Amino acid sequence: MNIVVVGGGVFGCLVSYVLARRGCQVTLLDKDYPGSATSASAGGLWAVGESIGLGCGVIFHGKEGKANIDAGPQPLPREFMEFLMESNRYFPALTQEFERHSGIHIEAEKGTGLLYVIYNDKEQQYASSLLDWLSNSDVDVEEWSSQQVCQREPLMTAEQQGGVYFPGDNQVNPMLLANAARQSATALGAVFKNNTAVTGIRMNNGSVTGVDTTHGHFECDVLVNAAGSWSGQLAKLAGLDLPIFPVRGQILCTEAMRKQTLNFNLSTSDCYILQKAHGEILIGSTTEFCGYDVEVPVENLVGLANGARRALPMLSQSIVKRSWSGLRPGTPDEFPILGPVTEIPNYFNATGGFRTGIVGAPLSAEIVAAHILGLEQPFDPEHFLASRFTKGDIHLPQ
Amino acid sequence: MSKPELLIVGGGPAGMSAAIEAASHGVRCCIVDEGRELGGQIYRDAHAIEREASPDLINPRGDELRKQLAALTNLIEVRSDSMIWGISDGNKVAVGKEASGTEFITPAAMIMATGAYEYIPPFPGWTLPGVMTPGSAQILAKNLNVMPGNRIVVAGTGPLLYVVASQLVQKGINVVAVLEATQRRDWLKVPFAGWQAWELLKEGFGYLRVLRRAGVPVYYGRIVTHAEGDAELSHIYHAPVDKNWFPDRDKEECLEVDTLCIGYGLQSRNYLAQLAGCKIEFDELGGGWVLQRDKRLRTSQPNIYAAGDGAGVAGSKIAELEGRLAGLDVAASLGHIDAEKLQQKNKPLQRELERFSSLKNTFARLTRIRPGLTELVDTDTIVCRCEEVRWKEAKEAIEHGGHDFRTLKVMTRLGMGMCQARFCWPPMARIVAQYKGCDISEVGPVRPRPPIRPVRLDVIAEAQSNQTQETE
Repeated sequence: MNIVVVGGGVFGCLVSYVLARRGCQVTLLDKDYPGSATSASAGGLWAVGESIGLGCGVIFHGKEGKANIDAGPQPLPREFMEFLMESNRYFPALTQEFERHSGIHIEAEKGTGLLYVIYNDKEQQYASSLLDWLSNSDVDVEEWSSQQVCQREPLMTAEQQGGVYFPGDNQVNPMLLANAARQSATALGAVFKNNTAVTGIRMNNGSVTGVDTTHGHFECDVLVNAAGSWSGQLAKLAGLDLPIFPVRGQILCTEAMRKQTLNFNLSTSDCYILQKAHGEILIGSTTEFCGYDVEVPVENLVGLANGARRALPMLSQSIVKRSWSGLRPGTPDEFPILGPVTEIPNYFNATGGFRTGIVGAPLSAEIVAAHILGLEQPFDPEHFLASRFTKGDIHLPQ
Repeated sequence: MSKPELLIVGGGPAGMSAAIEAASHGVRCCIVDEGRELGGQIYRDAHAIEREASPDLINPRGDELRKQLAALTNLIEVRSDSMIWGISDGNKVAVGKEASGTEFITPAAMIMATGAYEYIPPFPGWTLPGVMTPGSAQILAKNLNVMPGNRIVVAGTGPLLYVVASQLVQKGINVVAVLEATQRRDWLKVPFAGWQAWELLKEGFGYLRVLRRAGVPVYYGRIVTHAEGDAELSHIYHAPVDKNWFPDRDKEECLEVDTLCIGYGLQSRNYLAQLAGCKIEFDELGGGWVLQRDKRLRTSQPNIYAAGDGAGVAGSKIAELEGRLAGLDVAASLGHIDAEKLQQKNKPLQRELERFSSLKNTFARLTRIRPGLTELVDTDTIVCRCEEVRWKEAKEAIEHGGHDFRTLKVMTRLGMGMCQARFCWPPMARIVAQYKGCDISEVGPVRPRPPIRPVRLDVIAEAQSNQTQETE
């Protein structure tokens, strides 16, 4: 089967890898270079944390960078957490597969877990209600006293009152993940075309027959839309409406610091903070609805810097080396959009990774591949179909 | 002082002249500079060590400008030890200072006078201790009274080589040789092309005279091909080149040295202007990617001007004149002087600028980077020293589709270090373009992001308290 995947982000690269592994002839087209947008991500694999509103979700659900604690916990539907936890379980095996196929180690760290740091009584209540919500699930979670936090993360501020620790929420290097998937897929016969933007989709009898690009025409039996924040525009070329919108996030990055300056991924009501394998500490992230603009307004960095030094006073003296912003492909209900559409039989979505695109990518790719190849689904695919949007009255954020 | 009308970025010859001119017409100015004292690289602060250590090497022009500036102190606010680390919405400027944080200033007009920095192409051995730029050697010897070495070769191209070599000689250092990449016959054209700028020629001959008296040989048409040493530099190898600077390896010679000062001219510093939305273009004779400007020295952004080497490398005389022209134009555009006075003041400055243009253009042609230089890299040569990326890794990435700065960065970490790609990318862009056989504009410039210089986190964090005071 000849499959064209449009978009070389972590979704596109993983879908290509999974399909190539199953013997499909895959051609991936990227408008510039695979992983360009993916590389803007911090690479947190916070399946539980993100599902219950921590990570960059704190900022997403809150107002002006503060968690919306008064409103109580704002977890997403339980199936979402189960989906992310299942996807997270793919990383150990993927690490080995990618190492074998491409020689790239994706730095999927173990034992760095996510620590939600509690500053005050309100946040304590917030944490307690989250714990209640999690109590009838099989999620690994620990409650740490202020002393325990200090012992285990020695640079943490004395201001904190304790924390909630999720040992299963680790991290990966998103750039290496996309690169490893790309090179592994290539090793299995997939073809990647860079700087190739799709300009039109050719149809015959209601089916896709190929795509026109800035570098010629590509015929296909199946078209996969993995164009991330741009997948709405691609869908439009096929006459489809896809409720995808770009959600900008900004990240600050320090100089490379001594390894294990931080032991854990940290989440506070202000920001998240994590140290990457190279030693740099990333501080993120904003959640902004401002179209495709990837400028970095300086004012927004101020809030991130303050959040970081509040949690880790020693970071005051660290040198900030860079900042950047990237676009998350947002969906109205935060679930990705995966699988077939009713209108076109050989068109499939693999998009809408939003805040959890990295951690959700492995299972998303498996779900899409199972749809295309008619295999048994690894997870209930109903939640992720594009058709859900025509059923309910879902509103796009303003 | 009340809110400045004009924000000048950089206090070198262009910035100081701009402030003096604008303030003399009543414009309230603020100069932001990273140094402790104004002066820029060329008139770098003459503080106590230097005044005592190198009294003969101090350029009096720096003091003159500082004096003129001090006389206008009621209209010129000087923010030294300060750094602009970001800018948004085109004119909201984040001025940071260690221990006091960031203040946001929104001026009516800005003049970018950000100067230039040295161009160092990678070659085998260039990261050995003992290899430095002429500018660094100058700061060590002249400003800090620290001798960079005992046996020094000064190499590369451009007028700075002779300035630095002669200053090292005057500090009593053994300069073994000066190696100039461009042929002697080309340099002989300089006096004819630049006779109008007689004072600069005189200055240049002065440097050459110092070298001749000290018996320092100047070899033209030779480049350093590689450097060697165990823990530090011990030998350099140099060879004659053709007009495109391709070396004749059969005629390579070796010199025993402990220090190599190597620099191939200057390139504009324009990350901040780019962040402000000013358009750039590639100009081989202006030192690489330079700001687009109109005749009035305005960039593509309304109310942002650019003057001096930061706009296109042209030297300190032209920097002063451009600074004054920009300051004058700002004074007119803000209504401090009328069109007639502008015209009257502008004309003599333009004429003076014209007088230096022929020499400037000749220098630019003589010292432009030629392709032979980009082929010195070996597979194991480090091409990004911050992240220790080697040419073989970069080459592999290019072959896997790395086609511009961003993709190469993603693939290799090239340019992700503390220099923010300032030093690695300009030569790498040439190397990539040459390797791929494409135009350098296809490979593209770096797209700067705040902070445009590494900055302490608390400087960014301390901005909040000042944000409310931003107007008035």
